Amino acid sequence: MAGESGFDTFVDDLPRKWWFKLLANWIVIPFWAWLRPTPPLPGGPRPTPQPSENVQRMMNLVMPLKDKSPLGRAYAAMAVAQNVNEIFAGLDNVGTVHFARFVVIGDNLCMISVYDGDFTNYIRDFIATVGSVFDAIMDLVEGGEAVKPCETKIDAFIDWIHAHDLFQAPDLPTDLFRLQDAARGVERKREPGLLRSLSREYILQLNANPNFSLGGGYRAYPGFSVAQVRQKLGVGW
Amino acid sequence: MVSVAFDRLEIQGNILRGYRRNLVRHLVLEVRNRDAARRFLGVAAAGGSDDVPRITNEAPGRARPDAFFNIGLTFAGLRALGAPQDTLASFPTEFVEGMTRRALKLGDFGPGAPEHWPQPFDNPARVHIVASIYADFKASLDKAQAQVAPAFTIVGVLDGRSLPNQKVFFDYKDNISQPRFQGIDDPEQRRVDEPKDPLGTVLLGHPTRFEGLEFGVPVPRELGFNGSYNAFRVLRQDAAGFERYLTTAAERLLSHPDVGQLLPKGEEGWIGAGLDRVGALREIVAAQMCGRWRNGVPLALSPDSPLPEPGVSETNFDYPRGSTCPAGSHIRRANPRGGQIVQRIANRTRRLVRRGMSYGPDFDPKLPDDAERGLLGNFIGASLGAQFEAVMYDWINLGLQDPDITGSNDPLLGANEPETSWFDLRLRNGGHIRLRGFPRFVWARGGAYTFLPSLPAITYLSKLTG
Repeated sequence: MAGESGFDTFVDDLPRKWWFKLLANWIVIPFWAWLRPTPPLPGGPRPTPQPSENVQRMMNLVMPLKDKSPLGRAYAAMAVAQNVNEIFAGLDNVGTVHFARFVVIGDNLCMISVYDGDFTNYIRDFIATVGSVFDAIMDLVEGGEAVKPCETKIDAFIDWIHAHDLFQAPDLPTDLFRLQDAARGVERKREPGLLRSLSREYILQLNANPNFSLGGGYRAYPGFSVAQVRQKLGVGW
Repeated sequence: MVSVAFDRLEIQGNILRGYRRNLVRHLVLEVRNRDAARRFLGVAAAGGSDDVPRITNEAPGRARPDAFFNIGLTFAGLRALGAPQDTLASFPTEFVEGMTRRALKLGDFGPGAPEHWPQPFDNPARVHIVASIYADFKASLDKAQAQVAPAFTIVGVLDGRSLPNQKVFFDYKDNISQPRFQGIDDPEQRRVDEPKDPLGTVLLGHPTRFEGLEFGVPVPRELGFNGSYNAFRVLRQDAAGFERYLTTAAERLLSHPDVGQLLPKGEEGWIGAGLDRVGALREIVAAQMCGRWRNGVPLALSPDSPLPEPGVSETNFDYPRGSTCPAGSHIRRANPRGGQIVQRIANRTRRLVRRGMSYGPDFDPKLPDDAERGLLGNFIGASLGAQFEAVMYDWINLGLQDPDITGSNDPLLGANEPETSWFDLRLRNGGHIRLRGFPRFVWARGGAYTFLPSLPAITYLSKLTG
């Protein structure tokens, strides 16, 4: 690039140098995180003023298994298999769920789904329909006992699910400044974050939040709800 | 959950039934002196004294005092009174965060965003208690305010009043439909045929409409049991803008090819005596946006005239398939009754008690002005998340309950922008005409989520130490 000095090139190449990576991971980032405490941001999509953005929202629920062994993973597979019919019937009854599936990734049982509207209504209506069925899954995951029976601890259960839904990085990267300031309880009304510190803010969040959803994802027919799609296809809603 | 016996005298009186007084004054209070505040609450819950107003409870056939007095506490207020950590941690997230942090969910953006709210709601940290006085005469309000003043810092005073004939500034008759509760006999609701709601719809610790589901009762139980939550809202209503838009819409409709399906020529007189065609179309637009004619007659029962012969019930109707009430109308969005909705189990689970009074100067549609006026509203239920927020987010501002309205906002209450707003007027042949270009008519000017404790809970709070 014209006008770029040798020093610029040196600095730009730093993140690729082995010794710099070592320095960053072991000293610089921990020191930064200590200097500038960054709470893990809450999971899931955020409400927006645009109605089209409030349908087809992603849930990436990651539930760490208590038993981190092949046998533990097998128990998780069994718990899902034994209850999957009730769970899918419950999701159908909620009326706002496009897709949902269970996957085991590493030692986590994950539920990935796409839904319309408010997250808490989705979860509340789901539990209201399936009753105690989800308790069988909560038995197997870390921290699950504290929020079961899900039905009678519904507020705590919703908070737990929210906390285990992956943080979704904003589609507009600079929105991260506002989110992190809000989480830190800092008010920064006038002065926006400095653009050059954006990657630093992301690294601090990735440090607090090892699992991360990169934006809201791709949608082939944005803005349409489950019921609108069903109505168009003539399959009833 | 089994139903538990409860003593009506232990519940604040503004929850299950309205007082129907002429005036209200909401005092926004900050707790500066914890001991003075606790002493005040203790006396108020125990029946009051010469210096402290009595908290009005839910007494059947209750006597009519000069002033009715009730309180709600914010999360900041509970903390200011010294509620212990485990108690604070037992309240639901939406209440802990408070109304300003839920702004996007409630449609409080643009002109209604909390950063535009005037004092005292510009500083939620100082909004601790909302004390409400209901009376017929101003002197009674002043007396109760003078009694409150020594114990708290009054950071805001909001006066409201009933407009004649139960009207609001948009000239609709309001406050018609309210939930009614199992085990509670409300003489005003005896002829209403909507199913009764379980008490847990509005009071914590009782069965809810969700079979098996329980909303968390804050600890200790003495504090949480029989409590309720209130979304207190200061809602500005742009009456002049609304009347202007009705004229604009009516004039556009005049030349619409399908206008005959909305109002056949010669039927103007059915809409109101002496109305010309524009005048009659204005009333039809207003009625379809609300779901009721401005005199309160529901479109579900009387789609073609506000003066049906014979008369119809204001409250006893449903929304069957092909209902004559537009799916996008305000009352159908806020309470879809037994009609088909997308969220199959949600039909009657999001019921809210609504109590509101108007604020600001009179509005004369013949001499429209833009003075600030609106509604001081209380939206009461056992769960802010499952009721108030669920209605505001999914139904009022997204229209998720019916695929024909998804993506549009409530035409009266919604966060509309002229560039994107739309509403489908229902035609007699089942077709529709899409209205566009209407602005936002209602936006927030303040508010707070409050907890409405039972009387024993107020006594408990008064005895906190430290």
